[in-house]
Amino acid sequence: MKNRDLELLSAYLDEQLSSVEIARVELRLASDGQLAAALADMRAARKILRQLPSRKAPRNFTLTRKMVGANPPLPRSYSIFQFSSAFAALLLFITFSFNALTPRLNFAGGAADSAEPAAMQAMEAPALKAPEAAAEEPAAKLLPMPTESARVAKAPADANSPAGSPAAQIPLIWQALFLFILLAGFAGMFFLRSQAKKKWR
Amino acid sequence: MDEPALISSAQQGDLNAFNTLVLRYQDSVFNAALRILGDEEPAADAAQDAFISAFKNLPAFRGGSFKAWLMRIVTNACYDELRRQKRRPTTPLEPEDEDGEDFDSPHWLADPGMTPEQKFEADELEHALQHCLNDLPADFRAVVVLADVQGMDYAEVSIAARIPLGTVKSRLARARLRLRECLRSFEELLPASFRLEGERL
Repeated sequence: MKNRDLELLSAYLDEQLSSVEIARVELRLASDGQLAAALADMRAARKILRQLPSRKAPRNFTLTRKMVGANPPLPRSYSIFQFSSAFAALLLFITFSFNALTPRLNFAGGAADSAEPAAMQAMEAPALKAPEAAAEEPAAKLLPMPTESARVAKAPADANSPAGSPAAQIPLIWQALFLFILLAGFAGMFFLRSQAKKKWR
Repeated sequence: MDEPALISSAQQGDLNAFNTLVLRYQDSVFNAALRILGDEEPAADAAQDAFISAFKNLPAFRGGSFKAWLMRIVTNACYDELRRQKRRPTTPLEPEDEDGEDFDSPHWLADPGMTPEQKFEADELEHALQHCLNDLPADFRAVVVLADVQGMDYAEVSIAARIPLGTVKSRLARARLRLRECLRSFEELLPASFRLEGERL
């Protein structure tokens, strides 16, 4: 017998079918002896289970404060504060780490990036630029030579953003906001806990 | 005090309100645990654990059937106990009389209003049924206990056992047929008033 038929019979027995399904099952029951026998089996099993005597609890299961612990039960809103402060702490950590690490990573990456084209340029220069060198020389002479200090000052900016833009940092306002949520969450938790303790007493 | 008011008070940490609910449901909870576990002592422990857990998690109760919610907790406690038993199998102690002899059946829990014949019949039925229930897989046993012993409807069983409605139907149907098969082997042992209907042999 198919599982589907068994489920139908069981649901028929418990009056959990629609009127259309009931009519369909009754039609099948009238012509299918196997189905009718299975229904009789189920009905018999259910009847016996329902006659199973109910036992009285061997003792009272009432609770004492000692059994449920020293801490009072906390309201549902407590978990909201808990979640929001945990989430804010995580975001605060991520933003702080990002802002702290990004300039260093960019500097290391930027230095490597700037060293490579310079080396390649140096290799290509004699072959490609030799004829042009003479033509460009007068113009180059007109521009003032960058001093060492100017070169050093320019380096971090170039390293941070090869395209010439300043390093992307998460604004401080976000960190302040996350810190505020974190502190508000702590304050909320403290308030709810103290209220619950007051009621518990 | 009505049930929603008791639940609401208990959610605020009122242990007396919760204990009123415990007294109201302790027999049902204990019986469900007893039929799932098949042994009184672990069933009482599971019921006690379930009530402690229910009190601690009461703020998370979001309305609906409180009985179904409680049954979900006790069913979980029973699954935990069954897993523990599987890891550390033990030999159950049989109850003894004053001379240290084993009782054949736990008569001391029978209803004192019963005649000796009725007690005997009830014990025989209970033993046979519990044996057959124990033969079912734990998932099937829980569904059949909740639906047929506790008299819960499909929707409540679905909440209590944390399974979809379709799975409730299918497990209940198959569990009933397996129980019927098992009870056939006890047919001669069962008192006449509990003989199965639809006997075709």
